Amino acid sequence: MKRQVSAVLLAGFLLLTACSSKSNDTANSTDSGGNQGSSKEITVWAWDKNFNIAAMNQAKDVYVKDHPDVKINVVEYAQDDIIQKLNTGLNSGTTSGLPNIVLIEDYRAQSFLQTYPDSFQDLTSSITASDFAEYKLGPTSMNGKQYGVPFDSGVAGMYVRTDYLQDAGYTVDDLQDIDWQKYIEIGKAVKEKTGKDMLTQDPNDLGLIRMMIQSAGSWYLKSDGSTPDLKDNAALKEAFQTYKELMSADIVKITSDWNSFLAGFNSGDVASLPSGNWITPSVKAQADQAGKWAVVPLPKLKNTAGSVHASNLGGSSWYVLNSDGKEAAADFLAQTLGSNVDLYQSLVTDVGVIGTYKPASEGDAYKSEDEFFGGQAVVSDFAKWTTEIPKVNYGMHTYAIEDILKVEMRNFLNGSDIDKVLGDAQSQTEAQIK
Amino acid sequence: MKRQIKKITDQTLFSKIFVVMSISIISVTILTSWVTVQMSQKLFVQTFSITNSKIIEQIKSGLQSTHYSNVNIAINVAQSGAIKSFLTEANGNSLSNFKTTFSMNDQMKRIQSGIGAKNVGIVVVGVNGKSYASNRTYWSGPPGELLRNPITENTWNHNGQMLYSYMAGGIWNSAEPYVVASKELIMPETKKSYGTLFMMIRENEFRKNYASFTSKGNDVIILDQHGLIVSSNRQELLGTESPEILKNARDIQQLGLVSKEMKISDQEVIVLADYLPLYDFYIVNIIDKNTMLNHMLNRKAVIFISAGIIAVAVLVVYFITKRLTKSLRTLVKKMSNVTKKNFHNYMSVTGSYETKQLSKAFNYMLDELNAYVSQLVETQNEQRNAELAALQQQINPHFLYNTLASVNMLVQRGNKEMITETIHSLISLLQNTISNVKETISVEQELLNLKHYVFINQVRYGDQIKVDYFISPDCLSSQVPKLVLQPFIENAFFHAFNIKSAGYIYVVITKERDYLLCEVVDNGDGMELAGDQDTIPSPSSARQLFNGIGIRNVHERILLLYGEEFGVSISSTLGQGTKISIKLPG
Repeated sequence: MKRQVSAVLLAGFLLLTACSSKSNDTANSTDSGGNQGSSKEITVWAWDKNFNIAAMNQAKDVYVKDHPDVKINVVEYAQDDIIQKLNTGLNSGTTSGLPNIVLIEDYRAQSFLQTYPDSFQDLTSSITASDFAEYKLGPTSMNGKQYGVPFDSGVAGMYVRTDYLQDAGYTVDDLQDIDWQKYIEIGKAVKEKTGKDMLTQDPNDLGLIRMMIQSAGSWYLKSDGSTPDLKDNAALKEAFQTYKELMSADIVKITSDWNSFLAGFNSGDVASLPSGNWITPSVKAQADQAGKWAVVPLPKLKNTAGSVHASNLGGSSWYVLNSDGKEAAADFLAQTLGSNVDLYQSLVTDVGVIGTYKPASEGDAYKSEDEFFGGQAVVSDFAKWTTEIPKVNYGMHTYAIEDILKVEMRNFLNGSDIDKVLGDAQSQTEAQIK
Repeated sequence: MKRQIKKITDQTLFSKIFVVMSISIISVTILTSWVTVQMSQKLFVQTFSITNSKIIEQIKSGLQSTHYSNVNIAINVAQSGAIKSFLTEANGNSLSNFKTTFSMNDQMKRIQSGIGAKNVGIVVVGVNGKSYASNRTYWSGPPGELLRNPITENTWNHNGQMLYSYMAGGIWNSAEPYVVASKELIMPETKKSYGTLFMMIRENEFRKNYASFTSKGNDVIILDQHGLIVSSNRQELLGTESPEILKNARDIQQLGLVSKEMKISDQEVIVLADYLPLYDFYIVNIIDKNTMLNHMLNRKAVIFISAGIIAVAVLVVYFITKRLTKSLRTLVKKMSNVTKKNFHNYMSVTGSYETKQLSKAFNYMLDELNAYVSQLVETQNEQRNAELAALQQQINPHFLYNTLASVNMLVQRGNKEMITETIHSLISLLQNTISNVKETISVEQELLNLKHYVFINQVRYGDQIKVDYFISPDCLSSQVPKLVLQPFIENAFFHAFNIKSAGYIYVVITKERDYLLCEVVDNGDGMELAGDQDTIPSPSSARQLFNGIGIRNVHERILLLYGEEFGVSISSTLGQGTKISIKLPG
């Protein structure tokens, strides 16, 4: 009996000391009790807050509804940053610090796929490649394997200000199916009547040249994707000449950066805007210009055989990196942008993304008329042109060649001979990409 | 509960020692820990202030190089003719604009790649309204928007000096805030402004200058002259104004203090601050004392160790105290058991010296007690024996033979009357000695017995020896041990008159104060006593004439019954007679 009492006494002391440490434990456990769930995390890198990011966020919302355990981080970077980071990471052979899904411009896709052949996940079995526009499959596939989920079409059109055209004595119909010579003619009239330039151009961006040559099924490289095709490229030559004519006609407002490019058409300084359809959200951002815009087919090259009224500018596609979590990332893309017709409808309506997923173009959203564009069924027009875009092989060196061409373009504008200019570009390119 | 408390208080010695020791151990441990913790805290705080002021120096030099890179951009931009003409030339035709823009762009790319300022967004806005932004994720708005920003006006007020400010994220740039370095571009010759240069650094890039030095509870805050928090690892503070921190930073800087301890929103913090002249910012390092000390000084470990020490010490004390008091407690237990008529609980002599001695003493005491008790038991046995012997004495068969022989003789003589009287006496005598079991009888009864005995003896041996009784009447009812006088009468009859053939025996019983004095006096032969007058002859005495055993038994019986002051004494003179005095309580 006495032993028990002293044991009680002793236990009391021990308990006292034990208690004091216990309270500390619980305080700590709430601190460290972190996220231990086995939730999957997918990181996506893209540029353009209003377009790609907005689209990806919609896809994310759709997917997360059915897969609440998946966490998707959409991170915005400038396209240059993404390229730099991808190159840095993939060159060193590590995927740590890189996202699971990345948006890559079609022009650059091959350079990544070919330079880092094992770094991207084969999506052949995840999506049905034939469901996408054919011209997108070139950039996004390699050796018969589909690596990218084709995204926005990049289909180009000519956005025009109907009011300025009207002031100059033209109607939208006058711009249907014209060539660039006619366009310059109209531009001159507009400049004369309204004082407004016809279009904007950034000397550092040869997007217009690209649109022109692709409309003729031509590219900086031959169809093998590696042989430079500059010197005797008739389409390129005519594109250069057309570019110079635009400049000489003094109907081009020169922009220095993206902001002034946007400001060009948002502030009403230009009468038209030849661009990819991804610019639609930016055009529509200026709500007070509703009804003043229309979209007409891209002018074609006058003298180049095979030039059509459809081209492409800067489409991009989604790629999955071959790293941890690739299955989840591939599944995410396959379930959303790879197959979800409904998602594409809301992408069209809410974001203005015109996808290249063929089954989606049957949806109602693609047929709807847009009051901003005076009731024109813009999307269905774009979708129609999409099917007409000539397929070219962008190859690996689009921007490397373009850096050379920019300088040569300046030389050309300064008075150099066109053949010499293209010849120089050819030899420089050959020297550089070999 | 009450019972348990009682149990504890019962164990007074153990519980007192244990409680006192425990309390001492606990208080010593706690106090020592507390003092140690306090001292360490002071030391840590000091060390912290020193290291963190070094860290601030390091951050400052990091920020300096960021600043130099910005300055380089600014110099290059300001010195570039292409950029100047882009920003100043009036709108020409498409071709000339193309060339100007192209050259400007070229220059810009060169500047940016030359300096390696990858994470700086460069924006220039010219007086002609033209602008250039190197990267649209930094700025995608129209130049007018930027010019309307208060930063621009501030810049213009700075005469071409570089100004650092905070710009919140918004629709024209990304959601994250920026630290913007801005500078007015001024023509060297005319001192006229031709544009404004903005170098936008994302706050999270700017933060990299010091982010590695921060941790939870160790925050760096950079604020401008208005207390606006420009950059901090605590992102929730970005863009908020904190005049309190600004004031403290100014105080520290002006007073030249290393650090200051204070309370900011109920948190005890150590604040270090310095001024960044290049930026016109204050850099403030706020260290949450509690978090930091918890981090550096593992209080939990201290508490655990102290608790461990206390637990072990208390345990040890518990067992030691228990051991020390164990023998004592056993002692107490055994001693308390002694009351239960058990004198054989001998202590094992173990434990400490004191307990050993106690045990020994206790055992010795038990020994004594047991010896005494056994002696007592022996005495009682002796008494019983004496009584038995007395009884045997009285019904001595020899006496019976003699008596019966006398009766026989009387029968032959035919003295009927005498026979009846003799047998009657014998019967009475036997009745009183054998049937009466009482220890004591009254004097009267004793006298009756004596008379019967004397009568029988006189019948047997004749009446030359006369017996007279002198009894004081007040003694008749007094109680005396049974057959206390008979042995002496017998003695006198058979041994006192061997030489003399006739004589007298007197039985005198008187009361003197509080005791009774019985005397048997004869005028017989007397005897030679060994020593002093009063000594009773030893039973082994060779003198067969005196029946020592009977007299000695009487004496011992009286001693046992009444104590030392009573007893038998003998005085005798040869030829004169013998006197036996028996002293009894009245």
